[in-house]
Amino acid sequence: MERTQNNTAENLGYAALGLAIFLALWQLAGKTGVAGSALPPLTDVVNTLRDPEILPLLVTSAEYTLASAAKGLFFGGALAVLFAAVMHLLPPLRPGLDRLAVLVNATPPIAIGPILIVLFSRSQTPAALAGIQVFFIFYVAASSGLAAASPVLRRVMAGFGASDWKQMMYLEAPASLPHLASGLKAAVSASFLGAILGEWFGAPQGLGLMILNAMQNFQIRLMWAAVVVAAAMSLTVFLAVAALEKFVSRRFSQ
Amino acid sequence: MAAVSGAAIEIRDLAKSFTPRRGVIVEAIRRISLTVAAGEFLAIVGPSGCGKSTLLHLVAGLEQPSGGVVQIGGAEPRELARQHRLGMAFQDSALLPWLSVQGNLALPFKLAGRDVNRERVQSLIELVGLAGFERARPSQLSGGMRQRAAIARSLCLEPDVLLLDEPFGALDAVTRRRLNIELERIWRQYAITTLLVTHSVEEALFLSDRVIVMRSPGAIAQETQVPFPRPRTPDLLRREEFHRMADQITVWLEH
Repeated sequence: MERTQNNTAENLGYAALGLAIFLALWQLAGKTGVAGSALPPLTDVVNTLRDPEILPLLVTSAEYTLASAAKGLFFGGALAVLFAAVMHLLPPLRPGLDRLAVLVNATPPIAIGPILIVLFSRSQTPAALAGIQVFFIFYVAASSGLAAASPVLRRVMAGFGASDWKQMMYLEAPASLPHLASGLKAAVSASFLGAILGEWFGAPQGLGLMILNAMQNFQIRLMWAAVVVAAAMSLTVFLAVAALEKFVSRRFSQ
Repeated sequence: MAAVSGAAIEIRDLAKSFTPRRGVIVEAIRRISLTVAAGEFLAIVGPSGCGKSTLLHLVAGLEQPSGGVVQIGGAEPRELARQHRLGMAFQDSALLPWLSVQGNLALPFKLAGRDVNRERVQSLIELVGLAGFERARPSQLSGGMRQRAAIARSLCLEPDVLLLDEPFGALDAVTRRRLNIELERIWRQYAITTLLVTHSVEEALFLSDRVIVMRSPGAIAQETQVPFPRPRTPDLLRREEFHRMADQITVWLEH
């Protein structure tokens, strides 16, 4: 126990050190101008972030992107789990849906964007694109999770005369939770990617839109500030989900 | 409790073979005919790989026979399982790790779509000596305690047939002996038709009314009635007659 705690502290130390070196190099590169005007010094970006005229704009945009990502995560995830459960109970349907899921996943999101704008509205496209990114990850996690229950426990269920539905509710669903938690960890980043990318197709607000506008108007510092906010937001949610995953995998291990 | 409860098991010309790969046939049960009377405790001993666990799985309806029939009280095993009239316990306690002892004992009720009989769950927990551990999860219990919980769970729905697959096989000798004594006491209260698969000759003799010795592949080599009256007490384990029978069965096993 103590050893793991030591390791965790050590890892955190290394992570902080790595981050500090990265930020210092960024500052140095910005000051010396090795990357031209495209890479401003870190302090300039921080000053932009603290600018009372820009900060509220960044916050509203971040909220909008966060809402889109969360919406995509929720609906994409829920739909994927539902599909995986139906496939699990009706195996004959499985090969067809597996192929469809792979096909959707193999299509570049940038190519699906225009289709989504036609199908949904411009403001719903970020959430829809996030949902598509999330769907595949959750579908794979839920399918493999539902198949992960141990053979001995399956035998117990059969011996007690459990129907397929009850077996799923009482054994396979809880046994799949660690897989779903791992899936969630991967899906969080994917949902932010989907949401930000989705905003490039003409969403009314959002960090993606801000990044795109700032780039086209040569507001380099604003662009970097938006990128930093997006990265910080994604990382925070990721770390929270990683903690959740740790708890779930311990609580529901077989 | 009634003197005799449970259903009779009728096994006729039972055969089971597996095909692990194309062209390879493994014969697990060659040909077995066997009748277990209602309320009888039958123990099956045999060397590893002789097909005794397969036999139990066939009686539980977990496997389908390649030939012959198994009937329990005139019904197919799978039919009996579907009606939630089977009780089972395995070497691996096979408790759901995320549920407490209480939750694991409530499970058979939920799987059967019945209201959880709280009083029965509690009385079974007390019967197997787990009072005070109702809320403990399996990982917080010792191996012996987990097996007690598994035995209690197998009795939850008052099954017609109890199937025990090496229930104490993974325990140390002292715990195993103590649990044998307890199982004999518990079993006397219910006197359900019981099939026990075990490696231990002493366990078979102490618990059962009849011992069947199997040999590989999947056939009955010998059988013997166990004459000791119930209730059986620990001093039976020290009696000369007990040891003589144990030696005889061991000779059959080594043959």
